[in-house]
Amino acid sequence: METVDVAPYQLSQMDKQQFMVAIGLAYAQDSDLDRAVNRLVALRLPGDPIQAMADTACELARTGYVNSSSGLRAVGAMMTFYQGQGRTGCADTLITAAGAATQVVDIQLPTNTPTVTPAATKTATPESAALATATPVAVVVPTAAPQITYEAISVNTACGLADSGQIQVFVYEINGATGIPAQPIRVRWNGGESTFYTGLKPERDPGYADFTMEENINYIVDMPGLAEPIQTALSAVPCTDPTTGERAITTYRVIFRALS
Amino acid sequence: MIRFLGSFILALIVAVAVGLYLGWVQFPREQVDRPASVLATTFSDDYTVMIAQGYLLDRDITGALERLRLLQVENIPAHVQEVAERFITNSREVRDLQALVTLSEGLGRLTPIMEPYRPVNQGA
Repeated sequence: METVDVAPYQLSQMDKQQFMVAIGLAYAQDSDLDRAVNRLVALRLPGDPIQAMADTACELARTGYVNSSSGLRAVGAMMTFYQGQGRTGCADTLITAAGAATQVVDIQLPTNTPTVTPAATKTATPESAALATATPVAVVVPTAAPQITYEAISVNTACGLADSGQIQVFVYEINGATGIPAQPIRVRWNGGESTFYTGLKPERDPGYADFTMEENINYIVDMPGLAEPIQTALSAVPCTDPTTGERAITTYRVIFRALS
Repeated sequence: MIRFLGSFILALIVAVAVGLYLGWVQFPREQVDRPASVLATTFSDDYTVMIAQGYLLDRDITGALERLRLLQVENIPAHVQEVAERFITNSREVRDLQALVTLSEGLGRLTPIMEPYRPVNQGA
């Protein structure tokens, strides 16, 4: 009798290894630690699951798996994951700087002819201090670098006539549930941008804000100075409302969460 | 004697019933060492997403194909297309859709429903 619908922890040891490779690759792409750990937990590995990742990377590094660039990259991705969590394994010494070896850094050297720096021009010095105009003292106020305090944790789509073509943004505290009002949201598109603030529709949520898109235009959403832009441009594409069957424009729900 | 035999048979029936319940329902034997081909759809989908994420990062189509062979599906491009379209239909996370669509396109299966989820730098 063939068993179906098994869970990852029921896989053979070899398949579990491949699952861990996939977890490492996915983490290298999205840097989503929660997601990676949840996937590892689903494997029900004995002991520390992150150390198990290090041990698996070690086993793979000792085999021909790393003879291909593809395998080497995969083990490098696993190393990035477990090293970031303070774990070590034999792969650290067997594969030194695997990531660096596979990364191609393209440096564009300037080809322009260097321009001669113009000679400093002489400025007449006032003959006496009395003739000199007092120059105001320039006070340099150090400006702090922008603090990334939020991260986009999810972007989901929906389709409904009621909120057709909206970008609905929710800004939450670190608990992922308490909305934060008065946070700037910026939407940019080809040839324009708009900044608006959360909290103007408190009946929806204190941390809620929305923006209505125009059809067939791509939009980038971020929190200026507070969060990196979301990686995906949101396209205002048509869709069909599943309840009414009428045509609408895709709605996007973007959630930003405080990092601390 | 008859009373003793009656009690004995009754106890035996109860013991067998309890044993069957514990062995089949409460503490069934876990099947282990199963191949990935019999993974539940949720997990095989998740595995496909992970491989697609890897492809999004390195564009290594051979590596992605090699890893997806673990699922032992008959037609890998068709499988990726099916997962991508199902995720789109179910409004799953855009980042997953983007990865799946990129992989599906890499495997030569970009369908109209996938077009909006192509990464920006791949746009026409």
